[in-house]
Order: sequence, then C-alpha cells, then structure tokens
Amino acid sequence: MKTLNKRTVVIVGGGLTAGLIARQLTDKGVEVVVLERGGDHTDGAEAKLPTQRDELRWDVRQGLVQDWSVQTYSLRYHRQDVALPVRWMEAFLPGEGMGGAANHWNGHTWRWAEYDPVLRSHHVQRYGAKAIPADMPLQDWGVTYKELEPYHDLFECLFGLSGKAGNIGGQVQAGGNPFEAPRRGEYPQKALESTEAGLVFKELATRLGYHPFPTPAANSSGPYTNPDGQKLGQCQYCGHCERFICEAKAKGSPEVLLYPMLRERKGFEIRLHTHVLGVNYDSRTKRATGVRYLDLMTGQEYEQPADVVVLAAFTMTNTKLLLTSKIGKPYDPVSNSGVVGKNFCYQTNSGVNLFFKDRWFNPYLATGSTQMVMDDFNNDNFDHAGLGFLGGGGIGASQFGGRPINSRRLPPGTPQWGTAWKKANADWYAHSMAMGIQGSCYPHRENYLSLDPSYTDAYGQPLLRMTFDFRDNELKMSEWVTRKMEDMAKAAGADIVGPAVPRKSPFDTRQYQSTHVTGGTVMGTDPKTSVVSPHLQHWDAQNLFVVGASVYPHNSGYNPTGPLAALALRLGDDLVRYVARPGMLS
Amino acid sequence: MGDSTHADDTGEVNNRRRFLQQVATVSGSLPFAPGLAAGAAAGALAGAAQAQTAPATAPPPGPKVNDVYGYNSFSPDEAAFVETLVNTMCPADEYTPNGVDCGLAIYIDRQLAGAYGKGYKRYMRAPFAEGLPQQGPQLPLTPEQHFKAGVAAANDAAKARSNKTFDQFTPTEADAFLKDLGAGKVKQGELDLAYWFNGIVYPLFTQACFADPIYGGNYDKVFWRMIGYPGLPATHTIDMVEFRGKPFPGAKDPKSIADFS
Repeated sequence: MKTLNKRTVVIVGGGLTAGLIARQLTDKGVEVVVLERGGDHTDGAEAKLPTQRDELRWDVRQGLVQDWSVQTYSLRYHRQDVALPVRWMEAFLPGEGMGGAANHWNGHTWRWAEYDPVLRSHHVQRYGAKAIPADMPLQDWGVTYKELEPYHDLFECLFGLSGKAGNIGGQVQAGGNPFEAPRRGEYPQKALESTEAGLVFKELATRLGYHPFPTPAANSSGPYTNPDGQKLGQCQYCGHCERFICEAKAKGSPEVLLYPMLRERKGFEIRLHTHVLGVNYDSRTKRATGVRYLDLMTGQEYEQPADVVVLAAFTMTNTKLLLTSKIGKPYDPVSNSGVVGKNFCYQTNSGVNLFFKDRWFNPYLATGSTQMVMDDFNNDNFDHAGLGFLGGGGIGASQFGGRPINSRRLPPGTPQWGTAWKKANADWYAHSMAMGIQGSCYPHRENYLSLDPSYTDAYGQPLLRMTFDFRDNELKMSEWVTRKMEDMAKAAGADIVGPAVPRKSPFDTRQYQSTHVTGGTVMGTDPKTSVVSPHLQHWDAQNLFVVGASVYPHNSGYNPTGPLAALALRLGDDLVRYVARPGMLS
Repeated sequence: MGDSTHADDTGEVNNRRRFLQQVATVSGSLPFAPGLAAGAAAGALAGAAQAQTAPATAPPPGPKVNDVYGYNSFSPDEAAFVETLVNTMCPADEYTPNGVDCGLAIYIDRQLAGAYGKGYKRYMRAPFAEGLPQQGPQLPLTPEQHFKAGVAAANDAAKARSNKTFDQFTPTEADAFLKDLGAGKVKQGELDLAYWFNGIVYPLFTQACFADPIYGGNYDKVFWRMIGYPGLPATHTIDMVEFRGKPFPGAKDPKSIADFS
C-alpha cells in the first residue's frame, strides 16, 4: 500500500453525479480527484460505426455493463432464506467506465412530483397517518422540491432536455403533463418527434379523458450548445440508444457534456481503472480520512487521503462501501434499528402488446426516450382512498429501437419456432406496439441491503446481499394500474391485444425491468432513520457525503435521474461551502 | 435453393451427412445411400462426394446460403444434433432456407467456442446451490459445458424414447421432441432439460436468427429481410417524420456491419 499526497475532494465513481459535483467544485477552484473503475469509452468500438450498432455485443452480451464475474449481488426473498449470488443479472444493468450508466441510459429525465420529497407528510395530510402501513417506512427527504428546482433547471439546461412543459409557474400547459411539478419555463428544446406508437397512445388517452405528453428526454431533438459551451448533435433516431453509447453524441451523457470539459480544467483529475476498496474512517474524530483503491493497470494498492470523500457510485456500491468500511450502523429489520441498507426499492413494471394489421409502426425509427406517457395513475395523482395500496405508475407507449433479437412482439399463441413462427414475425414485427407501466416501489421493512456472509467478489470482499421482493403494496398497486392499462389497450382498436400481466412475486433477475434500484444510504432529518442529512452529509462523518439514487427513501413511478442530478449539483455547491468552512451543513 | 433436409415427413433427417460425406470422401466408404446424403448445404468436400453419384449441373438460382464450414466447439455427434435442431426449428420454407443454410449452427458453435461459451462476465464462485429459477442460473457449468451436457442427455432421452439419436428423428418426431423438452416432459439424468432448452438453447436459436450476420447466423441478413428490419447504420431524423405510419423502403434492403466495413 502506497500513501499518496492528500487531496481536497476525492469522489468515488466517475459517472453522472461525480461529473456534476466536479463541475461545481472546479468552477470555484476546489480541486477534485475522481476514481473510476472502468475506462474511457469515447474512442472504443462501442462508440464508433459500424460496431456501435451491434445488438448482440452491447445489448444481449452486456458489453457496457458491470462485469458480474468481478462484482455481483446475492439475492434472497426473505431474511430467513440463504441468499444466492446472481451469476448473470438481467434485471438491472449498472455501467462501467467514465460516465457510468449515464452512457448507456435511455435519457428519460423527470422532475419527480412536487410531493415526492415530502411523501410521508403528503400521505398523512391527505389520508391520515393510519393510511401508511406499519411495514412501509416512508420518510420525508428533508429537502423540498422548491429548493431543488433551480438545480433541476440547471441540469436540464446542461443536458439540453427535449420536452413539453405541463406546468409553468402553476399554469397548466396544453400538451404537457398537468401533474408536473411547477417549472420556471419551457424545456431547453422542443420535444422529440413522436413515433407512430406514440400517436396511437396520444389519440387513445385523449379520447379516454387522460393527459398524454411526450416523456422529457436527454436525447437531443436538435443540435444544442449548453451554458458551458458543450455541444450535442441532433438525435438520429437510430434505434441503438439505451444499452449503447451514442456515436452521434446526441444523447446527454457525462462523457460528452462533462468529462471532456472537466479534463481541461485546472484542479480536475480522473483516475481510470481504479477500483475503490474502502473508505478509511477514524471513529475517534468521526471523520473519513481518505479511500483505499487498487490501480487495475498495475495491481498497486493506494491510500488516497482527502479532506472530503464523496461516494458517487451506483446505488449498490455506495451502500456496500459504507458497510464494508463499517461507517454507520447497519440496518436490522428485526429490531427495526440501524440505517445502512434500509429502504431498498426497485420499480414495479408491467406491459401489454398490441397488434394492428394495417398500421406501420416501424419500430426501428426510434430513440431511447421516444415515449408518449400519462401520469393520471402515477404515484398519488389519483385518490387512493379505499384502494388498499399507495403509489402508482405512469402508463405509456414506448418505442426504443425494435432491435430484432430482443424487441420483436408476437401474438399470444404463436409457436416458438417453425414456419408459423416465422410468419408471425414477418406479419407483426412492423405492425405491433407496446404499452407499459413504470410503477413506484415504496419501501418495505423487509426489503434491505446487507453484506453476504458467504460470497465474495473478485477482490475478496463480501458481495452486497439484496433481501427483496415485491410485497403486498406493490403487488396490489400493479394489479390495479395494470387493469387500467388493459382497459385502455382494449379500447385502442387493435386487432389483437396480448395479456396484460401485473408484476408478480418473486422478483425475477432473468428479466430486464429497470436499472432503477434505489435506497440503502437514504437521506432524512433524523439520524436514527437516515444515513445522510438533507445535505447528503453522513451523520457519523461530517466530511463524508453520499449522492445518487441510494439516498432516495422511496422510488417513485419515474426514472431517478432528474432528482439525483439536481441533488448532485446542489451538493457541489454545498461542498464549496464545506471546504471553506467545515462543519455540519444547514 | 435445394431441398430442405426435411425432404418429407418419413425420411430420416440426416444431419450427419456433411461430416460423414467428408469422411467418406477421405475413406472411400459412404454409409448412407446417395439419395439421403444430398442436400443444399453440402460443402466443398460433400459436393465432391455428391459428384460421384450425380451429373454435374449448375445449381438452381435461389437465396445465398451459408458457406462457412467446420465447427470450433462441436463434436460430430453434437454437430449432428445441432444441425437437426436448427433445421427443425428453422425448416426451409417461403421465408428462409433451412437452419444450417442460414448459418444457425455455425452461430451456435462460434458462440459456445467463444467468450460467451466460456462464461465471460459470469460470476462462478462457490458455493453452488439450487435456488428459485428467478434467482438465475446457479450451475457450476459454463454455457458451453451446459450446452454439451444437455445435448448428451437429450440424445440419451431420445434413444430411450425411440432407440434413435435425435438426428435420426423424422421432422415430426424432432419437432415433438423439442416441444416436449421445452415443456419439461423429457427427463434424463440429473440435468433439468427444460431449463437447458429454454434457458440456453432457445436464446441461442433466436440470436442466431436475428444477430448481425458477422456472427455467422442470419446468413445474408435473411431474417432481417423477412421481418423488414433495415439494420444499420441509420440516420433517421427525417425518416422519423416522412415514414411515420408508412412502409419504410430501407426495410427491404437491410445493411449489416460487413456492409460498412
């Protein structure tokens, strides 16, 4: 182990949040070192034609995804069970390399509901305290939407979002989302072009009295220059977006908009191919003293001392590092005490296929966020009195690329092979669409993260263990919202409507659902129920900060990127203050 | 385009033919009648074998068929099994040539011989234990080992069922046997053959059909053309609007990686 010279701020993980924090810090002259386990994809086969357009390599074989042989997670459904390692994960796909999962993401960028950061208070006020089940540890974040709004606005300008506002300063806007949290103005760019599936959905939802709108997207609807002078190309609707790196540099990504700029800035350094092994913690002074990491290019272990340590890795890694470094009390569901690992949540999704003989959907004319959606049954946008569950889901029609290995839709009853199978593929590939639900997942006392007692990663450290399943609240919610979607699908005028199956237990690792795993290092105002403060400052180490979806106390029926980007930008500003005058931030 | 190897419903599906013909060419002995040994996918050596019994004529015009021969991973028995499998799942018809001619067997062989087959990126640490299917694969086998163990067990089950290996089944028998495998109706030894078929074999089959032809399957982009997938590269900003709700002309002439290399 070699000990390096002390640095001001060290950030673990070189993805979206690290880039945003570093932008704020280096702008004010605070030096930053980012440690990233992967490399730089910019000039690789994954980012260049024609190899970029390879469904098998990047999508099916997960070319941009975390190497499970090095690092995976174990899973059990109940704490009485012995967990097994997920040896090949399909359900969620963390990234590797500079930019992290924000290289291969879809681009959907939501501001969550105005009530999301105060979800507990909101429910108590609307339905009474008894409406929240005893085993659902909902909690307020300790920050309000209003405080985050300027940072949402900044992020949307930096990433050149394309969308249609639905609520400007409290005034509902036609064509946008009437349930949207109030914005200060329109999106930086006009919405993406709608797909044919989007038009079908828009007509259907409007006819039924709902409120469809285009999903806010970080896929650039036009050429765009952001306030930093960084440029996005125009989206080419090439159908190789999510699970791929955009070779046209038209998807808002840290490796396009943040890291090239940061690498030119004085005081910024990113060390690629460095795997962080732990945070050094002095329990006497209650301070993080730095991090230990392995340089994967040399095999040398280093200690990097720092004034400030920021965990900005994927949800799972943030939690694991706190547990392996023994910082904060691990959550115990039996005594309902401790905090690290609690409120682990996912996303409760379902879908239905629709087949129209005479309509051309051309599923390959699409990008990662070409989706028409409605929020009428999302979260608490509808009255839950008497329903027996909390939460909901956005219902929409998405079309992301029609890649032929994994994105063909076949009517129910189609044989699995043979001439009839080929005929069905030929008949329906261009003539089918899907509707889907992205549903909320609220915390459950028995859903949490901890260290596995048996299995280790490639560096000899314990795997992070998920104790997780869809519990009653989510199963009931999915059943109810899926029926709403099914009713809509049946009214769409399709020749064939496939089965609309609500999400079921047990959680299935073999099926991609969403990369939105959240919680584990949750934020809040009470050190007994949160890992970090509303300023993302660790309660047991004031110079240690954690950011990402790991700080969400619940998961909403939205993609997580918007609020975590806003939180990261705000953290950057907070750290400028902290470095100048260390102490608990308020 | 010649006949499918499934020439009729009663004839033996002879997928060992190429290998055996190659052996025959070398050894001078041909164990099968010439009529049974004829087929569209015959390679250079097999072609030489055929030439001994049939007058040389120009091949009839038709779709291009796989011209890559020789397996990296398969034994002769495994090759025979897989060729029968892909020709059963993908018979020659109005949509495509048979599975072998579409390169499907080559695709599967190459995948198993390569990184996927060797378990690249797969967590393989002990202890191993059985879990729920939803917890994902838990066997200490690589995909290649798993595939081969399944072929051996399935062939044993086929022999137990009708005293024939899978490649000797009639097309109807082969099709029924695969359906039974997928439905969990075939038990043989310790391996879960339903999981093997649905979790390993079937995904390889669909990938073989629809992956870029650079991997050996989807020969001449035949499956892309069948469904109307235009392939790549694609700059569709204008197409998005111009062809929304209408047939897209590029779908008839797909482009693959090789077309841009």
